[in-house]
Amino acid sequence: MSYVEASPLGARARRRRIMRRRFLRRPAAVISLVIVVGAVLAAIFARWVAPYSPDQTDFDAILAGPSREHLLGTDELGRDTLSRIIWGARASIQAGFLATVLAMAVAVPIGLIGGYYRGWLDTVIARVTDVLLAFPFLILAVGLAAILGPSLLNATLALGIAAIPPLIRIARGETLALREEDYVRAAVANGANDAVIIGRHILPNMTSTLLVQATLTIPAAIIGEAVLSFLGLGVQPPTPSWGVMLNAAQPYLNEAPSLAIYPGLAIVIVALAFNLLGDGLRDVLDPKTER
Amino acid sequence: MGVFILRKLGAALIVVFLASVVVFVGVRAIPGDPALALAAEDRDPEVLAAIREKYGLDDPLPVQYVRWAGLALQGDLGTDNRGIPVSETIVTRIPLTLELAGLALLIGTVLGISAGVIAAVRRGKASDYAATSVALLGLSVPHFWLGLMMIIVFAVNLGWLPAGGYVSFREDPVGNLEHMVMPAIVLGAGLSAVLMRQMRSAMLDSLGADYVRTARAKGLSEWSVVGKHALRNSLITIVTVIGLQLGALISGAVITEQIFGIAGFGRLTVDSIAQRDYPLIQGVVLVVAVGYVVVNLFVDLTYSVINPRIRVSGGASK
Repeated sequence: MSYVEASPLGARARRRRIMRRRFLRRPAAVISLVIVVGAVLAAIFARWVAPYSPDQTDFDAILAGPSREHLLGTDELGRDTLSRIIWGARASIQAGFLATVLAMAVAVPIGLIGGYYRGWLDTVIARVTDVLLAFPFLILAVGLAAILGPSLLNATLALGIAAIPPLIRIARGETLALREEDYVRAAVANGANDAVIIGRHILPNMTSTLLVQATLTIPAAIIGEAVLSFLGLGVQPPTPSWGVMLNAAQPYLNEAPSLAIYPGLAIVIVALAFNLLGDGLRDVLDPKTER
Repeated sequence: MGVFILRKLGAALIVVFLASVVVFVGVRAIPGDPALALAAEDRDPEVLAAIREKYGLDDPLPVQYVRWAGLALQGDLGTDNRGIPVSETIVTRIPLTLELAGLALLIGTVLGISAGVIAAVRRGKASDYAATSVALLGLSVPHFWLGLMMIIVFAVNLGWLPAGGYVSFREDPVGNLEHMVMPAIVLGAGLSAVLMRQMRSAMLDSLGADYVRTARAKGLSEWSVVGKHALRNSLITIVTVIGLQLGALISGAVITEQIFGIAGFGRLTVDSIAQRDYPLIQGVVLVVAVGYVVVNLFVDLTYSVINPRIRVSGGASK
């Protein structure tokens, strides 16, 4: 018996080692991981990382260009752009992660139940998903944010809810495919109950798909937060957020274009890092895409 | 084929019906009393009661829904808070957005498909890496930031193009295009990035397929192999992807119009929400959902025409 127990564990450790090596062989993915981790840490430790407080005004430097005191210049109130970008990362990272966690937490169980049990419940789930997919992601998020009222938490909720329908479709599709696998049939033949089959055989086998999907949902939510805040439906000024900063930069495109450039660069870099990380993870986790 | 169309049509009708319910209920979930919004400054309870009576705001929700949907079917979406018919506003705003979306679609498909084909044919070469990297960048750049950057470069610094606004094509065709170039590029950029990636992988699949090998073995020219055999089969995927991307195009139009100050349908959506104009929000969102469903239906049908296998296996493909 111990032989049977030990062998899959050894195989799992070996597979993990192979995956780690495959991941490390992709410089883009590794750099992206570093950027993502760096952005998260900067957001968490903004108080210590940022050179100034996000609200601190310097009336000697209004709309100033880059200088030694203010590396990325200042805005119309003399607030340090770099500090506001670092503090603004909090809103973006929070919205990105929480919205994705929320969407996953709702969508995956629904998709699992629908795909596993089929029948009328699945039909209802599939139809409702179709209806919700009739609303484009951002339109749905804008509408929900309008219903909930403008704040970071509500924008996050709106983005999370708007991200649910496509994730249900993915989780359901995966479940439909996985339940036909031989190992699931073997488990059924062995008399395993539904909870065991779903929890031990189906869910673990779709984690890589879900993980990749998560790394793609996070940047969508980060950009979504910026859009909602830009439209005035998310974070409210003076709280810094990349969307709020871009909105505030609009009247000064002429005098201080850097106000519009840097927060956008922050969005692009972080979103790109997540997208590349997702690509890298997909290559590592799914041997079929190995080229 | 007839059965296939009917089934798709039926499914689309159900989705439209449910979407209209979602819109109706969703709008009523927006905090704030519509009677108060309509009464403006007047907080007199009698006036409010009269308004509720006039618009039937005290009726049960299903009654209100049936009345609204019945009128909507006849093209009457009610009047907005300023007393202007909603359908009239929508009809005047839609052409701007259609022009913007059409130009963006044109830019996106031409750029995306040609870049994707080049990248696939020249796989592993410098041009492949260049196209793939630019596309990846395009996926991560939000519309509104790209818009701001283009305004800074082409309007503020170079002064080549106007920073915003709109001129009707009939009045001034050149001015119209000058105003539309930047918004259309901004809106088309994301689409072209998505299409490029899909086109590249679809072309790689096709180029590895047996019929391409056969075509090569027959001694057809490379041009004919790529253009006639591989490209045609890859376009099937592209039609689907364009259909799926239309949602992103609509969302993008909202943002793009906001930045370039184009008073189109997207701008109307944001304004109606900002003004809490219930009838207007309802009408606008309903039109978006119906339009999206209709376009997807159209895509499904096109798809079945291009790829006859779909018809045989029925709707199972979706």
